[in-house]
Amino acid sequence: MPEPLDTQRLTWMLTQMLRIREFEERVKRTFEEHPGVIRGHTHLADGAEASIVGALAALRPDDHVLTTYRCHGYPLALGTDPNAMMAEIYGRSDGLCGGYGGSMHLTDTARGFLGTSGIVGQGIPHAVGAAYAAQISGRGQVVLSFFGDGASKQGAFHESLNIASLWKLPVVFVMENNNYNVVTRTEQEDANAAAGEPLAVKATAYSMPGTTVDGGDPVAVYETVGAAVDRARSGEGPTLVESLVYRLCAHGNIIAPPGIPLHFPEHEAITVFGNAEEYEAAKRGDPVPRFRGRLVSDGTISAEEADAIAEQVQAEMQGAVDFGLKSPFPAPEAAVNFVYA
Amino acid sequence: MWRIRAFEERVGELTRANEVHGLVHLSIGGEGVAVGVCGALRDDDVVYSGHRAHGHAIAKGAPPAAVLAELMGREGGLCHGLGGSMHLVDVEHGFFGATGVVGGNVPLALGSALAARLAGGDNVAVVFFGDGAVQGGIFVESVNIAALWALPVILVCENNGFAEFTPRSAHTTVERVSDVVAPYPIERLTVDGGDVRAVRVAFSQFLDAARAGGGPMLLECLTHRFGGHYEGDAQQYRERLAADEWRRVDPIARLGIADHGVELEARDEIDEAERVARASPFPDASLMERLVYAP
Amino acid sequence: MAHELPYIAAIEEAIREEMERDPTVLYFGQNIATHENDPFLKQFGADRVRVTPISETAEIGMAVGAAFAGYRPVVELYMAEFMLVAMDQVVNEAPRFHYMSGGQVKVPIVLKAGYGFTAGWAGQHTGSIYGMFMGVPGLKVAVPSTADDAKGLMTAAIRDDNPVVYFHHYLLTLEHGDVTDGEHVVPLGQAAVRREGGDVTIVAIGWLVGKALAAAEELAAAGIEAEVIDPRTLAPLDTETILRSVEKTGRLVVVDQSTRHGSAAAVIAAEVASEGFGSLKAPVKLVTALDATIPYSEPMEGYLLPDETKIAAAVREAVAEAVSA
Repeated sequence: MPEPLDTQRLTWMLTQMLRIREFEERVKRTFEEHPGVIRGHTHLADGAEASIVGALAALRPDDHVLTTYRCHGYPLALGTDPNAMMAEIYGRSDGLCGGYGGSMHLTDTARGFLGTSGIVGQGIPHAVGAAYAAQISGRGQVVLSFFGDGASKQGAFHESLNIASLWKLPVVFVMENNNYNVVTRTEQEDANAAAGEPLAVKATAYSMPGTTVDGGDPVAVYETVGAAVDRARSGEGPTLVESLVYRLCAHGNIIAPPGIPLHFPEHEAITVFGNAEEYEAAKRGDPVPRFRGRLVSDGTISAEEADAIAEQVQAEMQGAVDFGLKSPFPAPEAAVNFVYA
Repeated sequence: MWRIRAFEERVGELTRANEVHGLVHLSIGGEGVAVGVCGALRDDDVVYSGHRAHGHAIAKGAPPAAVLAELMGREGGLCHGLGGSMHLVDVEHGFFGATGVVGGNVPLALGSALAARLAGGDNVAVVFFGDGAVQGGIFVESVNIAALWALPVILVCENNGFAEFTPRSAHTTVERVSDVVAPYPIERLTVDGGDVRAVRVAFSQFLDAARAGGGPMLLECLTHRFGGHYEGDAQQYRERLAADEWRRVDPIARLGIADHGVELEARDEIDEAERVARASPFPDASLMERLVYAP
Repeated sequence: MAHELPYIAAIEEAIREEMERDPTVLYFGQNIATHENDPFLKQFGADRVRVTPISETAEIGMAVGAAFAGYRPVVELYMAEFMLVAMDQVVNEAPRFHYMSGGQVKVPIVLKAGYGFTAGWAGQHTGSIYGMFMGVPGLKVAVPSTADDAKGLMTAAIRDDNPVVYFHHYLLTLEHGDVTDGEHVVPLGQAAVRREGGDVTIVAIGWLVGKALAAAEELAAAGIEAEVIDPRTLAPLDTETILRSVEKTGRLVVVDQSTRHGSAAAVIAAEVASEGFGSLKAPVKLVTALDATIPYSEPMEGYLLPDETKIAAAVREAVAEAVSA
């Protein structure tokens, strides 16, 4: 069983959730306040903070994490410098990847954040490979593989879970089910969802435990993922954890040809399905203020401490924006570096 | 079943005599499934198969002479010698083809089932594949969509416990193919593939339901692959079946019909098929260029 | 010093020697190491040598992920076409990460696959599709034509920190050749001049190198001396060696088992036309497969593919033509 969370750890979790929210909001605001600075397609973690932080809280520093194009939240919690992250999203030479990758491909190998694919589902086999490496390296490392519900329809999901189970690899598959795949609702594309079943049932095809958890409760996620991490670390093999989250932003910024300003539209529940009430209800249950409220009301921290943390976080992320804006662009001829190792 | 058995035995001889070239995968031991399933179907039901397809094609109505001519690379072959063993197609009889890509035809069967549904008829699609195909991503992608759209497709898995040269245990922790699809809302059944009557009964239930608007379904047939993965496979990875063990699993022996007449007639038909195939000329090279694109 | 080995054994020797030398080299794929007496399994154990299910996306993706974590996997794919099932991992994942991460990660994987088995293996198992993998930045492509190069290029591929697609022609499998003893590296990106001559340059790929050499002997009897170049690596391509040769001979015939626009020949011809135009005395000749799926029936299969006769005919045409001043 994972260790119970003390005040310090709980405070850390709240802090990370606030950091992720603030960072993502600053990314979103960049589209309005500094148009043209962010190009391409960016995807935010609003609403998933509790799930991300709860899961990562169960890890050791030498564990590995791989995820999808919605990748900003994880490195923040792992300790990656937000200045470098923002500079990367702004395409600058001080960016985490020198401006080469952008929002969808953040990598920080020093913190175990190994490499992010933008193709739905294709990072899952990468995680299985890292878990194979962990198994034979014999240091007891575990790998967390994050992906969305949409990825569970990809063949790569099936092949990866089968092999991970067959070889008893030390990997935990964390499926963040936010009920949407871009503009498609999960029950429109998934036979289990259409039948009203949790997606965790898919685990039964791989002789591995499958469990569903409220992704809005970081402690519940910590306990569930932590148990799966312990299982993996002790050599018993993989687990599928379905973490229910609600994405509190649109899938991503709009896709438009150059010349048309990019921005974040409203959530697809509203724009496509006309269901503003679903979105409003989710906003009322926003996991970030909910967790803050819980820690304050049960006495873990005071309201003043919580406010102080929020202020620090705002200053930190303002700093990230300033750093990003001031960071120079790479020289154009740098484009041909790093083609080959 | 005897027609298929006699055909496959003849193909084995011709392969060893170098008159059939390339990769050949014989279905001796699988006759019960081919006949149990295809014998219940109409010409307008669409059947797909994998690389071990001779029996399925013949059971679906492809003339043995045309199949053999194809294997011998002749003009009179089903595909005029263009496809060969792994690429048999007989549209007239609803056999839309074999494939060399493991599991590759499963999504095609979904397409045929969708077309049948849209046209409002009661014809169905059937696809044969082996236990090795079930671990491929393409399989589960297809199962999800077939279940989601309730397509009239019947997935028939011949589980012979081997995928090429490795036993099922090297591929997955899940012994029964029907357990792999267990999470999905799809009707599933496992039968003894060596019992042609049992196969026919089980398949017919699924077929009737599919014609009435139901689907998809998975029929897992436990079978024995008598030979190697391909003709020429020394099978060092398997223990040989003793003759009496083979008699216990052989679908023909198990049917228990003592009349030799059926076998003799089948062998005569295959003799004639070989005669016809040999008489067919090799195709002219210009045939190829005409068929690269449809006009 | 050298020892005689069939081509296939030379490849295995390279893998084995590299696995001995470097404990981070892994070897996995379908149908390998399935019985306890398998030599790789016995020597290196079940950690480093594993059989996988039929799951190319996961096999290649796992190789990428294990490479992120410091290992050097060799993936046995058997046939070039099986990579098509997992094209995203080969083309859009493996070669991208070193770049997209700004140099943080490396993907030192080898994807080993046979190709070109024109012996009745029919439309889906016989392709020469290496052309699809040229021009993918970050991806290297090796095509050895001799047993010695099979060993040397596999060694180089394993040692290379980039993803390498290593294609070995099935008809070369049992071709014996002298293989260099011990450590033997043939650098990627270096062509070999197999035969010197002053009248025409023939660039040939893989199995067709042997056919080009046979054609060259026939042509020599008619007084035409052909220089035969084997690129050995298609990406990165050693255009220098080819251009130097064309500068000498003024005529170029490129021989490739792929179809015309899907071939390495098309790329080579474009490079020479662009960078070596002044040397050319005649248009470049391409001898490739005709544009059709490989048919099953033997006479049609033969009709489709390049052979010595077609190569010699193309050379004669090149020699007979002259670009007007």
